[in-house]
Amino acid sequence: MSEPIVDLSYRGYGGPHLAEKRRWLVIAKMSWRIAFNKKAFWVFSGIAGWYYLVMIAFLYVLEQVGIAQKAPGLSERLFGRLTWCDQFLTGFNYSQLIWLVLGLMVGAGAIANDNGTNALLVYLSKPCRKIDYLFGKWMGVFVPLLVGMGVSNVFFYLYGVLNFREYGFLTQDPWLGPRLLLMLVGAAIFQTSLIIGVSSLFNKGRMAGAAFSAAFFLMTFFSLLMFVAWGVSQGGRRGKPNLELGSMAEKLYYWSIDGLQIGWAKVVLRTDGSAPFGADRDMPQIHAPPAMMVIVPMIVLSILGVGLAWSRIRAVEVVK
Amino acid sequence: MGHQWGQRSIWAQSAGQRLLLQVKIRTETPIVMFVAEIRNLTVRYGQFVALSEFSVSIPEGCVGLLGPNGAGKTTLIKTLLGFVDPSGGGGTVLGREVGRHDLQIRQAVGYMPEQDCHIPGLTAVQYVAYAGELGGLPPNQALRRAHEVIEYCGLGEARYRTVETYSTGMKQRIKLAQALVHGPQLLLLDEPTNGLDPMGREEMLALIRSISHEKGVNVLVSSHLLPDIERTCDDVIVLMGGKLIKQGKIADMKRVEGHPMDVELRLPNEQFVAEAEQLGLTLDFAELLVYRFQGTGTIGATSALLFEAARRSGAQIRRLNLAIRSLEEAFLEAVDV
Repeated sequence: MSEPIVDLSYRGYGGPHLAEKRRWLVIAKMSWRIAFNKKAFWVFSGIAGWYYLVMIAFLYVLEQVGIAQKAPGLSERLFGRLTWCDQFLTGFNYSQLIWLVLGLMVGAGAIANDNGTNALLVYLSKPCRKIDYLFGKWMGVFVPLLVGMGVSNVFFYLYGVLNFREYGFLTQDPWLGPRLLLMLVGAAIFQTSLIIGVSSLFNKGRMAGAAFSAAFFLMTFFSLLMFVAWGVSQGGRRGKPNLELGSMAEKLYYWSIDGLQIGWAKVVLRTDGSAPFGADRDMPQIHAPPAMMVIVPMIVLSILGVGLAWSRIRAVEVVK
Repeated sequence: MGHQWGQRSIWAQSAGQRLLLQVKIRTETPIVMFVAEIRNLTVRYGQFVALSEFSVSIPEGCVGLLGPNGAGKTTLIKTLLGFVDPSGGGGTVLGREVGRHDLQIRQAVGYMPEQDCHIPGLTAVQYVAYAGELGGLPPNQALRRAHEVIEYCGLGEARYRTVETYSTGMKQRIKLAQALVHGPQLLLLDEPTNGLDPMGREEMLALIRSISHEKGVNVLVSSHLLPDIERTCDDVIVLMGGKLIKQGKIADMKRVEGHPMDVELRLPNEQFVAEAEQLGLTLDFAELLVYRFQGTGTIGATSALLFEAARRSGAQIRRLNLAIRSLEEAFLEAVDV
């Protein structure tokens, strides 16, 4: 007589239980699994590094020119023009829009979709506290965002370490690696906290995404206006610079989500930036803001975002 | 949860004599007489009082929480789970204090909410396994039990579909599966037959009865549908306006005052009634072939008198039983309608 392979009937459970402190990890792991299984996530992570790919191609061409010219010291002169941290700043600056898309992809529905399907009743009826849920969801957005942005930065950093050590990649700023990590972590914390807060306000991920995008673009448009105003204030080659307008535009430029993130990157990398691809080192740039001018608003807005989510997480039923 | 000391009486044989000994025993889990005990619980939503000075002891087994919409059934369940902070009173669930040991309570309790609820974007098996992990199961155990519970709840191969594509009946089953997966000692079911068609309702009631009567899980079924409670539960708690109206065994509640007996004859027989009355029985009512007689003696004595009346009148008795009423009648009497 054959034995049953498995008893499919219901029975009680008397086995081991996971520690209650690890519930947030269960929630975060599920969010990571969903995010990392999306092909679009990896596509956009790749696109986020477009500047680095163009830069790599550009550096390759420069290297080949140096070899073809057989001119000693040409490569040193060409690569010596580059400020490596500025390249990371430019890459970070140019990928803000992609980062928004990644944020929407992994974060817009994080709490909103749960609100819409009464999933909070499932979470909170289990031995899982409100803080476990919120921290799990927060980490579930933060880690994919960091990975999504980090992939291209790590790739370009390793490319620089392997190919341009002799041209000052490591000696120009020995702390570039940790600074990059701090830049990405800080920006990811900020964006995660904001998007989690917005997500908690809605019952549908799409609505939360639309609201967050609208706020992002409105503020980015404002920053763009300030950038134009700052450009006008420089007066061009013959005009007279308007210092008062320039100073005001420089400060207001950072009053947006991506403005704060770019300001944060400038503060952490300790640079004002330079023209893309090291083209013109003397091209004027908007100065890095005072550290407190970006750190304080970022902390306040992050706390507001998380606080908003905290106040919205309740085991209530949405009757459709 | 630490060890607790309890007292038990055991019989011992000594020198040919049986002795009743009182011994102290150490238990791993608290000794539970009732699955939940509520004391003077008051819950307010702003000015509205949902539960007022509510006290009840919920026994083990399958218990129905009966009451009209707005009676406070869901509020009581949510308070037991720690979702709602009471403004007064308190209680225990499975020996754990409500408000102080909410996590331990939720570890030992499974909750099936009234409304649709699921984790978006997951297949049923992923969803139930995830619920198991949230309930503290290690991932491999959660997945194994998810398959078992889904099979038990009758979802079969539909387990690989996302829950969004499920019908109402299937959604009810998956809600039950997620409540069961971590092996709770007590299951709280809030309107489990909500939105189900007659066949789905029958299947859900059979499932609830199986869980409580075959699998040994204590179940508290909240419903405003009397037949659902009658079909699944042994005990009932009747609420109305946030107050306890009545509590007890369903069988006791259905029992009619005194011990009248229903007798069903094969053919109408007026002489049978006359003979019975002559023997001292009182006719309560007659409906077609069924007569209800009230006697002054014991059940056995009344039965004997009815058989004697049948013998004298030549009536043929088809059925003879202690008269009971429906739960609906008992409920209406309890709420004084």
